[in-house]
Amino acid sequence: MMQSFLLLGLPYVAILGCIAGSIWRFRTRRFSYSALSSQFLEDKSLVLGSMPWHLGIFVVLAGHAAALLFPRVWAGLVASPTFLLSVEAIGLAASALAFVGLSVLLVRRLTNGRVQAVTSVVDLVVLAIFLAQIVLGVLIAVIHPYGAAWSTGTLAPYLWSLLTLRPDASLVIDLPPLVQAHLALAWGIVLLVPFSRLVHVFSVPLAYLWRAPQVVVWSNPRRWSSSVAAATVLPARRLFLRGAAALSVGGALLAAGTAETLGRFFFGPRLSEEQQARLDARKLERLRQTQREKELAVERAAQRYIRIATLSELDARKGRYFIDYEMRPALAFLGEDGLPLLISAKCTHLGCTVASELDAQGRVLCPCHVSFFDIKTGMPNAGAPAKEPLPHLAWVLMDDTQQVVASRGADGRDYGRVDPERAASLSVYIAKREERVS
Amino acid sequence: MDVRAQTAMVFHLDKCIGCHTCSVACKNVWTDRPGAEYMWWNNVETKPGTGYPERWEDQERFRGGWTRDGDGRLALRSQGKWDALLKLFYNPAQPNLDDYYEPWTYRYADLFDAKSGDDQPTAIAISQITGEPMAIERGPNWDDDLAGSPLHAEKDVNLDSLTETERKALFDVEQLAMMYLPRICNHCANPSCVASCPSGALYKRGEDGIVLIDQDKCRGWRACVAACPYKKIYFNWKTGKSEKCILCFPRLETGQAPACFHSCVGRIRYLGVLFYDAERVASAGAVSDDALVESYRSALLDPRDPDVLAAARRNGISEGFIDAAQRSPVWRYVVEWKLALPLHPEYRTFPMLFYVPPLLPVMGRTQGGLYGHDSREFHATFEDARIPIQYLANLFAAGNRGVVEDALRRLAAVRAYKRAQELGDLDIDSVLAALRAAGLTTTDAEAIHRLTAIAPYPERFVIPPIQREEALPSSCDPEHCKGSCGLGASVTPERGA
Repeated sequence: MMQSFLLLGLPYVAILGCIAGSIWRFRTRRFSYSALSSQFLEDKSLVLGSMPWHLGIFVVLAGHAAALLFPRVWAGLVASPTFLLSVEAIGLAASALAFVGLSVLLVRRLTNGRVQAVTSVVDLVVLAIFLAQIVLGVLIAVIHPYGAAWSTGTLAPYLWSLLTLRPDASLVIDLPPLVQAHLALAWGIVLLVPFSRLVHVFSVPLAYLWRAPQVVVWSNPRRWSSSVAAATVLPARRLFLRGAAALSVGGALLAAGTAETLGRFFFGPRLSEEQQARLDARKLERLRQTQREKELAVERAAQRYIRIATLSELDARKGRYFIDYEMRPALAFLGEDGLPLLISAKCTHLGCTVASELDAQGRVLCPCHVSFFDIKTGMPNAGAPAKEPLPHLAWVLMDDTQQVVASRGADGRDYGRVDPERAASLSVYIAKREERVS
Repeated sequence: MDVRAQTAMVFHLDKCIGCHTCSVACKNVWTDRPGAEYMWWNNVETKPGTGYPERWEDQERFRGGWTRDGDGRLALRSQGKWDALLKLFYNPAQPNLDDYYEPWTYRYADLFDAKSGDDQPTAIAISQITGEPMAIERGPNWDDDLAGSPLHAEKDVNLDSLTETERKALFDVEQLAMMYLPRICNHCANPSCVASCPSGALYKRGEDGIVLIDQDKCRGWRACVAACPYKKIYFNWKTGKSEKCILCFPRLETGQAPACFHSCVGRIRYLGVLFYDAERVASAGAVSDDALVESYRSALLDPRDPDVLAAARRNGISEGFIDAAQRSPVWRYVVEWKLALPLHPEYRTFPMLFYVPPLLPVMGRTQGGLYGHDSREFHATFEDARIPIQYLANLFAAGNRGVVEDALRRLAAVRAYKRAQELGDLDIDSVLAALRAAGLTTTDAEAIHRLTAIAPYPERFVIPPIQREEALPSSCDPEHCKGSCGLGASVTPERGA
């Protein structure tokens, strides 16, 4: 019960508490947002504490964030042993740095009289909880090494299950107690943020990097609006110039690309006569091929029946390829009942042509992505990329006199009767329209 | 031309008697709070001396103000954009408490609770930070009136470029010379503190140029403390926020002079509006040290020039401000008469507080320690002045002696003119010749005399109409703002957990 609260309840309490608490504090006690530096009161040991602590914890948190928020990318990276070892080493070094810094800060806070004058109970709690968290983290890294790798399959999905509102503690419930304690303490720290000096993490002044140096505030809205025009002439012009420059650069690139193509067309290298002749021959060949295909299609469309083979030519194990009315490949087998079995050869996955020979289980293989189709049912094997069955085709059997003696419909039902003695003289056709012989 | 109005100041150092009344008035009004005990938004320093905080002028150590790079661009001395982020954790240029002093009080209860005995009971000194008994080793004006000179005054940064003879002249025991330097925030036109603030909490008020810190935005990163070359931003160790002189804007908004101005016994302080060209602020500061004073003067705009007035109206500067600028005593002292000079212009922040350099100790040397008024020696006196001209030039003109000598020559000429007029013991022709040589007419001399010696309150303080109803954001619901005090804070400013 306690365990599931710490792993499932506490995270939500912590995240919501952190967000709501910070907003509440910002709205009601904005003045209290401060880094609360005590450098003014004591700076000699502060530099030895604050610098290592902040730099160390920044590296450690950046590593945690990268692994937990982008587990797939991270897993790909840590697959390289060099990377994994480097990450572990950097993490441990940064933790050590943070630990040293934090210890200095704690000692300083406990021993320096001036600093004590500005020390609250919460300050000490923050220092203690961070110290415990770092010790836990280092212990985990030493006792259960390569956390950078194993966390991608456990902690990262756990975190994502929380973030996507499908909390799943089963991912972490069996992890060692050290790791679970580290997790619970982490959520505790998140919850502590709005109620301690830690709120200063929301104040990291990144905007300083691109803001204008001088800040002028006009108290009077009327005066502000009338004078701001003069004050913003320069920035507005600068913005315009920057936009114009960007557009011109883009335009210039586009023009260069176009000019290059045009130049190549008009002034570029020409083909030699031999190359030109080869190119023309290839074009002609392609046109002829198209013509042949078209003629075949027209011919097929004109004919009522298309002959596949004689019945005696069909084999039970090895299919005969043919092209149906829609110009799709298909296979003709001799069925167990002695009648033809016609099945589409176009794989239902991505349209490859399946092989013609049956394997031991009476299946044909699509070589592209390894789907086996049972020719009797047309069904692919379980787990194959193809999901749909290959359809069977209707056929008719005709004798020498072009008399239809038997047929099979698209529904799989047979019509007519085949005299075994005359079977050798019958031929298999596919018909343009389905035919049923009584 | 982008005309901005600035509430600017002149301190007339000849009139300062070093009484610290200004400091006390300020302290009682603004910094009598826990965390602010050590702050002296207004302080008075004895020069030569190390000042407050100790050796604040040593920018190698405290790294304040702007530097001019090879291309003539200005850059903060204390930080760049990126290392500013690193300096959030520890700022090597920030002065600590020991550079100021540990504020103390006395355990007065001991006087009443002491058991009866042979000795007088004493109230021992206790720290206002820790509450523990402490030894007092420094104070806000520890070297007042050259106290402990061998220890303190000789460490004055401005003495560095003086010759051995000049130094000796200054500390010759029989003829010790000193002057007072009252300092408040300069409300600079190109403030390095504003440019350094990572949170963007510091700002210059558009209407009157007062530099303020938004206490709700300040996150206590302390970059401004290092960046201000005058060390006029103080870190409140209790609230974790920086604070500075606010030029008593709640008083200005009700038409009163700031507390330090109002209380000044010697009436050395003048307050008025200056117009300046915001577009020229940066370029005016990007000239060589020698040219700085002239360059800054030329960035100030004549409030009677029709072009300036048109541009000012275009910028929404009110008629009341224009009128105040035309009557401004600061404009007269700084530009018209060229008497007042900026403090350490080489910090390139374009300070808006100007000082009339002191004439008295300069003239005092010539006649065996008696003040010399012989008109024949008007110009000879500067050579062997008791306070070396170079020292004044280091303070007020980035080392340019000519600018200081010009100002002193004018002061001396006016003084001689009035003496000739009142006492008749000087040859009026040579006095008039001296006036002409100084570039002044008799009208100028009368006006300088009046503004320096006689001017009543409304002439010394020409306060522009910064009206309360204009200063408060009009979006503020009166019902909501009714509990607020002068600073507009309706929530107790308490330290965070």
